[in-house]
Amino acid sequence: MKSLKVLLLVLAYALICSNAYAEEKQYFQNRIDKLENRVEELESEKSRNSSSTQFSRGLSSSSSTATGVSRTFNPAISVNGLLLGTYTDQGRDDSSREVKTGMKIQEVELRFTANIDSYLHGDLTIAFEGDEVEIEEIIASLLATNNLSFRIGKFFTPFGKHNQLHTHAFPFIDAPLINEEILGEEGINEVGVGAALLLPTPWFSEIDLLMLEGENDLFNGPLNDDFLYMIHLKNLVELTDELTAELGGSFAYGRNDLVNGAYNSTKLFGADLTFKWKPSGRELYRTLIWQTEFIQSSRDVDKKGFYSLVQYQFARRWWAQGRYDFFTIPRDTVGGGGEVAQDKNRYAALVAFAPSEFSALRLQYNFLDQSAAENEHQVLLQLNFTFGSHPAHKY
Amino acid sequence: MKPLRSIKFIITVFCFLYPSIALATINVVATTQDIASIVKEVGGPLVKVNVIAKGYQDPHVIEAKPSFMLKVNRADLLVYQGLELEVGWLPMLIQGGRNKNVLPGRSGHLDVSSVITPMEIPVGEVDRSMGDVHPLGNPHYHLDPGNGLLMADIISDRLTQLDPANASAYKTNLENFSKRLKDKIMAWKTRMEKFQGMKVITYHASWSYLLRFLSIESAGTIENRPGIPASGRHLSELATIMKQTNIKIILQANYFEKEYSNLLAGKTNGEVVVLPVSVGGVEDAGDYIALFDILINKLENTFSKI
Repeated sequence: MKSLKVLLLVLAYALICSNAYAEEKQYFQNRIDKLENRVEELESEKSRNSSSTQFSRGLSSSSSTATGVSRTFNPAISVNGLLLGTYTDQGRDDSSREVKTGMKIQEVELRFTANIDSYLHGDLTIAFEGDEVEIEEIIASLLATNNLSFRIGKFFTPFGKHNQLHTHAFPFIDAPLINEEILGEEGINEVGVGAALLLPTPWFSEIDLLMLEGENDLFNGPLNDDFLYMIHLKNLVELTDELTAELGGSFAYGRNDLVNGAYNSTKLFGADLTFKWKPSGRELYRTLIWQTEFIQSSRDVDKKGFYSLVQYQFARRWWAQGRYDFFTIPRDTVGGGGEVAQDKNRYAALVAFAPSEFSALRLQYNFLDQSAAENEHQVLLQLNFTFGSHPAHKY
Repeated sequence: MKPLRSIKFIITVFCFLYPSIALATINVVATTQDIASIVKEVGGPLVKVNVIAKGYQDPHVIEAKPSFMLKVNRADLLVYQGLELEVGWLPMLIQGGRNKNVLPGRSGHLDVSSVITPMEIPVGEVDRSMGDVHPLGNPHYHLDPGNGLLMADIISDRLTQLDPANASAYKTNLENFSKRLKDKIMAWKTRMEKFQGMKVITYHASWSYLLRFLSIESAGTIENRPGIPASGRHLSELATIMKQTNIKIILQANYFEKEYSNLLAGKTNGEVVVLPVSVGGVEDAGDYIALFDILINKLENTFSKI
């Protein structure tokens, strides 16, 4: 430190004394600027605390040796809240309905994330919904080689696009019909192990293989002394700097609790296609997303359907969105399982105002055109907010 | 085969292979084009540089595209600006990139801000009610060309560490670049000397380092707080300041919308000067030095008119 300052003085002295050429002057001026920068930098490093990896001799670090109380290795924590107001023109007398007029806490999520040690990374998401508390995700993940990673725990499985999302990241306030009707209210959220391999292709291509406990509405692994097996393939191509196309395919196979003959295995197929566009230099103000997903299940009856949605950001803080949902249980497969053949169409429109990346107010209108029940109009209003550590955004 | 012959054979093979090992290019991923430009200057033909955020894009709002993960996956060296500039997307790219070489703490992971003295480190508690505050300081430090010298130094150090066989090439490239940049710095300073002490209004705190370099003062930002659009009241306060202190110039990055700046300029007879923030921000800003040539040209022209 001192010697640097002395050096500086000497250089400054030399500069004043020399009536040498302009070139030399310039050279010294530059040296001084650079040295000044270095001095400032050293000084700031000295005053900077734990954020740098260099050791500091601050009081807090030494006292934790004795007290054992240190916040240094706490995980990054964030909280997400979803507050929901609903109006529906149906089922005022039916208290068992999922969607009914009123206000509620749709969900509160608590997220923790940290590196466990040199090998493992940990994630925990706890969800509070009504008076239920659920471990939504607990994951230990390991980067094995440069292309292969493993995860163990409980998580939203990569069956299609939407099933992987936490409620606060849903593009609409509610889940698509196919996710609700086929995969169930909770989606396929399972305990198990997964291996994801990045393929050596010129575009992004990832294959995900999973072995899961398989205990939900669709599957019953434990009953059969077996597991649920899942494979997911994700491809993403950058068509231009502004436009990407993503194509995914999913397949899941497992035994279920239907013991009578041919129906005791469940098969799920899924396919998804997403285009995402953001104009160059106007990323802050415009986005267009078009996402379509198809899911089919073969169990006691066949169920299938798709949704197609468009999300358009038309100003820095504003989004306009539309979605069409179709779900069907075809007539010809009915029998045995007790499900009645039906069709459902849902049309949804949404406007969102997002004053910052940490909060959004969203208003959604649904029209349900269904064969098995009365047609229904719904209006949903949601406040979605996050506080705590800055979450990185999934694409 | 006799032992001696086989040893000879191995040596011969090694001699053929060795130069190709030494000349293999280093695959670099740079988060911004400014860093990419300096890496190219220092690495020359020994490096291949991929860039994530283009100069015409707001680096705060880049998305973690899987195609970027692929670039990170195939990189020997990841170089980034730091100070939380890339916090919204770089963690996803590193996680999705699955490349052990570029994980924090490895030799393939370089946070350039480690050699910079950041400006505008907030004092005291910060929270999100203050907008998008950067708790570690203003991350747009590449806009002080003096920092460019430091950036080149640390990049050259790291390339040398990764590829010691070409140490002399990196040293020569660094010296050439630093010499050119230093000469330019003196020239830019001389040209802008007469405008020292002048005041401007800026849209976002993008320009703090450039203004410090030129000894020009910012009298306020159009954004109420970082990342928060202006309110009517804030704009009229700015208009008052501009009229009282006779400020005529509003500086803004080309990736922000101009409606607020134009509104304020209309109220005050001022002029909105739209500038590129990064290399590649406009077509002619092909490298780090060219970016400053453009910035200085434009500023000199504008200030001279007033």
